[in-house]
Amino acid sequence: MIFRSWSLGYRVPAIGVVGVVFALAWWLHQPYEMSGFSTATDWDDSSVITAEPVMQRLFVSSDLDDFVHSSSITALPGGDLLSVWFAGSREGAADVQIRAARFDAASTQWGDEQVLATREMTRAAVGKPIRKLGNPVIAFAPDDRLWLFYVSVSLGGWAGSAINVMVSEDQGFTWSKPRQLITSPFINISTLVRSAPVFHKDGSIGLPVYHEFLGKFPEYLYLDGNGRVVDKFRMADGTNSLQPTVVPLDDRRAIALLRYAGEKEGHVLATMTADAGQTWSEERFVDPLNPNSSLAAIRSHRDTLLVAQNNLADGRFRLTLDEASFNLSKWSLINTIDESTDAEGDPIPIKAYEPLIREKFLAASGPRRHVLLDEYMQLLEGRVCRAGMCNFDYEYPYLIRSDDGNFHMVYSWNNSFIKHVTFNRAWLEAQK
Amino acid sequence: MIIANWQAVLSFALILFLLVPMGRLSTAYRLVVLLCMLLVALIPMSTGLTLAGQLRGLTDDLAITTLVWLAAAATIKLGYLPPISFTTRWPLWLGFATLGLVLYPAALGLGMIDTYRWGYSPRVLLIVMAGLTVVFCLMRNTLGVMLLTLATLAFMFDLKPSANYWDYLLDPFIVIFCFVAPVIALLRGRRNGAVET
Repeated sequence: MIFRSWSLGYRVPAIGVVGVVFALAWWLHQPYEMSGFSTATDWDDSSVITAEPVMQRLFVSSDLDDFVHSSSITALPGGDLLSVWFAGSREGAADVQIRAARFDAASTQWGDEQVLATREMTRAAVGKPIRKLGNPVIAFAPDDRLWLFYVSVSLGGWAGSAINVMVSEDQGFTWSKPRQLITSPFINISTLVRSAPVFHKDGSIGLPVYHEFLGKFPEYLYLDGNGRVVDKFRMADGTNSLQPTVVPLDDRRAIALLRYAGEKEGHVLATMTADAGQTWSEERFVDPLNPNSSLAAIRSHRDTLLVAQNNLADGRFRLTLDEASFNLSKWSLINTIDESTDAEGDPIPIKAYEPLIREKFLAASGPRRHVLLDEYMQLLEGRVCRAGMCNFDYEYPYLIRSDDGNFHMVYSWNNSFIKHVTFNRAWLEAQK
Repeated sequence: MIIANWQAVLSFALILFLLVPMGRLSTAYRLVVLLCMLLVALIPMSTGLTLAGQLRGLTDDLAITTLVWLAAAATIKLGYLPPISFTTRWPLWLGFATLGLVLYPAALGLGMIDTYRWGYSPRVLLIVMAGLTVVFCLMRNTLGVMLLTLATLAFMFDLKPSANYWDYLLDPFIVIFCFVAPVIALLRGRRNGAVET
């Protein structure tokens, strides 16, 4: 019938129908106005510091068997914290799960591990085969919803990742089923998440993401308050930069620091926005070295950036907390958070390593995890040692501030535990 | 058994139906074959997914245009429509190959302009597609008009999980097809020409 109508020359009515369809679609898709960054805080950085310096270390995770990595943390109302990470027999293994633990503010201890997402439940929810999971990021939104983003791979390696999202309306006790964000036209592969989301004033979410399929470059994914993709903005192009950590300075300006992913020795990369994430300046190298490792940044109480990073040419055997001016021209070391006893990070014979790791374990774990020490010492070979030579690795830091203004960092401690370090403003002031 | 989404099942069945040689089977038997392909798409795998869902891991969701094109090809194979003429095919190849060149290199990171972004706030892209559809109208290219109009209708009604208009218009497979099909047509034309001479 349609074919016959063409031959009879009904092109004008057909064009009319087409016009109506496209006009309706045009009318239904109104342009949006991008909201500024939300910079309101529950703490008052202008208040006089009267507290004593506090710096505490605790292990978050408690499972001894698994490789743990890529942790994230968020503050909940009432002082509790929730941390997530991935754990499995090795990175990229089919048994990797997204796990979580809750910090109870009353007892000041981390609770038991829970499983938030598995390969099987992700597969069932998104209706696609899932080979592996990774990089969970958790964030408590101003509208009291808790968001969990994590990557899954259906095809190939990490370059084949897509981002999944889950949301909780009750501070993480129950969760929605995961759903996949569609962020790439190429069979929706190669978008990964690692760093803390940024919230905008209207409740929309800015999610720093990155690609590593043909190029390695960062993007700023803009979601509405319900986690639906509204837009995305390229932060840099090329093959050199990953895992942007974004720090808003006011409602329009933000700094992003980037993991350097080039072939040669390199430094941390930086880019800036002055329009709430829509356009970004050309990325440039800044002072600290970056051995192709993840870093985290946050705004301090004294209008500087705090940056947790492996400021090394190679390896991840030292994790430092550094401070930078907003123009990124001045950098200084605040303190070393964890480091190998070998200044060059070279492997250490297991006989010399055992008393060192025992000492570090006791200093880092907190009393509730002390009972795990003896069993952990039996597992060194294969976990942190190869053929009797052992390493220290401190990597993938993640920084936040809680409602009381305290700072919280989580990171991978020898890929054996997720470690939580918390400190207050007084401790920061005492470091100089 | 987890039934993969309707689109994956339909895509899988149509592709399989188009690949299977039919010989001199009547239309009725061909319809039976198509129904069988739908059932094959729903075969449960050990993972709990259907066979179609399992393959969705390789292809993700196909564009609506691809689905409509597959449906048109299946309808032709069933004998309900005449074969698509060369004069209908070449503007489609040219149009979708050009769109693919606009979308993919930039979306995959070539430079700072991300053309995939245009699909999130798609007013300009809608105007361009409306223009292309009108061109197809004027060329009496029914399939072209159907592809773009149905894709736009599907986008209006959010029939896919994506909020990006491009995901309704293009996928890598339709673009690859539009690059490969002219080459095959050219080679066939030369071979036929050689035989004739």
